[in-house]
Amino acid sequence: MSRPIEEILKKVRVRELELQSDHRIDPATPLGDVYRAFDEQHHGAVMVCEDDQVVGIFTQRDVLYRTALEDLDPSTPVSEVMSDRPVTIGLDQELADAIQAMVEGGYRHVPVVDGNGNPIGLLSSRLILRFIADHYPEAVLNLPPRLHQILSRPEGG
Amino acid sequence: MRCHNCGHDNIPGVDLCESCGSDLAGLDLPEAQAGFRGRMMTGQIGDLPLISPLSVTLETSAADAIGLMRKARHGCVLVQKDSTLVGIFTERDVLTRVVRPGIDPASLAMSEIMTSPPITLAPSDPPAFAVHLSAARGLRHLPVVDNAEVLGFISVRHLLRHIHEDVLGGD
Repeated sequence: MSRPIEEILKKVRVRELELQSDHRIDPATPLGDVYRAFDEQHHGAVMVCEDDQVVGIFTQRDVLYRTALEDLDPSTPVSEVMSDRPVTIGLDQELADAIQAMVEGGYRHVPVVDGNGNPIGLLSSRLILRFIADHYPEAVLNLPPRLHQILSRPEGG
Repeated sequence: MRCHNCGHDNIPGVDLCESCGSDLAGLDLPEAQAGFRGRMMTGQIGDLPLISPLSVTLETSAADAIGLMRKARHGCVLVQKDSTLVGIFTERDVLTRVVRPGIDPASLAMSEIMTSPPITLAPSDPPAFAVHLSAARGLRHLPVVDNAEVLGFISVRHLLRHIHEDVLGGD
């Protein structure tokens, strides 16, 4: 029998997940470019870096909360709307610790840094769920998606 | 024993389906269902604390929907017509269908920009199914629907919190 997930989450280090290393931009990046990365590359968030340090994070949730109704020019630098100095996770921390930090802070994304505080990539809740999903038997998970349908009348009616 | 491939009803204990030859070995062995993995596969979504959704109509503007989402700190609204779920409008739709094209959110109605029909869960689905949909398809918000009735929704954040509490004993 495979190891319980409880044990796996406490043993695995953050570095063992496929962190998103390309989700990295500098503070002067215009919002329009960030929106394009969110849309076309399906990034849920970007980490904003300067001098090889994480200085901010900007997420799709921030678009909803801070920019969607504000009529900002697409040339606005991301540094004006990002969250400054986000919580980071160390590359060698246990995945369980990362989950705790994300749940406590209500974050779906956290930047991962090495021992020198240099950014390595983004850890997302989606990556964590994918990691957990990989530990289930395939049969359960390959159920087809259910599209919402309402029967207009009872079957056979 | 019914074949998982063709549905042929075989006599119990055979290793190969008599109709299509599929491997049936092991299918009748009970899976070990201990611990978190077991709860995620045999539990029910309906037993998790679901989030009460924000409901809007087909005519609601994107600006009003975004205002509601901000106030409630929700990442989605459910679009209902005659108390039937017809669509979902999420933070991703805000980005791709309102902000990126640069359209005035007051001029867009839900009917133009919602995702319809939404992918939903049934209350009897195992929580593992929600984990899979979120992980594989990147869905962050999943309405839970019982026949025509919307019971609530489940979010990625919510799933992660559930895993944290269940597996890691967090509070």
